Amino acid sequence: MAEYPTLHILNKAPEHPRTAQCLAALAPEDALLLIENGTLLLATQGVPATCQLFALAPDIQARGLRVDTKQMKAVDYSDMVSLSLAAKRVISW
Amino acid sequence: MSTLIVIDQAPYGSWAGREALDMTFSLAAFDQEAALLFTGPGVNWLRKAQQASEIGQKTVEKNLAAAPVFGIEAIMADRSACARYGLSEASLIAGVALVDPGPDLYRQYDHTAFAG
Amino acid sequence: MAATDRDSFTLVITGAPYASQAPQTALAFARAALEAGHRIDRVFLYGEGVHLASALSTPPSDETHWPREWASFLQAQEIPGIACIASALRRGLVDESEQRRYELSSHNLLSPFQIAGLGEWVEGRIKSTRTLYFHGGS
Repeated sequence: MAEYPTLHILNKAPEHPRTAQCLAALAPEDALLLIENGTLLLATQGVPATCQLFALAPDIQARGLRVDTKQMKAVDYSDMVSLSLAAKRVISW
Repeated sequence: MSTLIVIDQAPYGSWAGREALDMTFSLAAFDQEAALLFTGPGVNWLRKAQQASEIGQKTVEKNLAAAPVFGIEAIMADRSACARYGLSEASLIAGVALVDPGPDLYRQYDHTAFAG
Repeated sequence: MAATDRDSFTLVITGAPYASQAPQTALAFARAALEAGHRIDRVFLYGEGVHLASALSTPPSDETHWPREWASFLQAQEIPGIACIASALRRGLVDESEQRRYELSSHNLLSPFQIAGLGEWVEGRIKSTRTLYFHGGS
């Protein structure tokens, strides 16, 4: 698994103020993992194209979302564990 | 190992800010490097002359004034959030540094945490 | 950070059951971490997260009982589950010794959860390879 300076884990819906804070804190070499309501970002036009993007498959499926695999990678909980260790720091927004 | 505690919720209307302050002071009590960042409506914690006794709460101005004594390295406030809430440097409590939160700021800390 | 033979986690849950998905995500993460051979040093409940330690939680029978799911996981894996004392007392989560100390009518902390101070979080922060937060969603 690649190393990232920061793994950002976002669990808030797109309208939540913390989503904007999270997106403003992304560096191009960072990774963003969408979980829970954060996966709803995939249904909007607001998906960041600047950094490596992951989304938790069980949360995507629960919400009936369709995913563009060119845009992001669907991962499971064991990938979430590996990502959190691969990044130098993790911020849970 | 430095920790940034972020407070982005308004004072008095929720307890998250208070609980974030508790986290910060407990890091300091265990000699861990800690700094505070106020952003969004959270910057309203930093307004001078708050009086919360009539709503049955305590202000945190004294706690924040004591922060450097307890070893808390920095109290920072998001510049644009301060502008949004009409907080000039003159209306902020003493010892607050205005910053522009972004990748560069978060990267200075090993660990960033919200209370909720 | 120095690599250890076994990576370890401190998990902090700040989102309450039945108000957020935090307890579910955290439990799935914890199981995956153990399956990958990592260690969970402790689970720390903070803020609204302390409601996960309520012995009186009684969801409808067709809903997952998150407090019991967590309690049996912690018991089986011998992982300390700690509710922050200040968060817990404010929200009416009390163990037997706090019941005696404050002369309260009852106690309701679900075993094996324990009540302790924020020092447990600070220690996890220092000892574990990673400390992860599971927040509420609203």
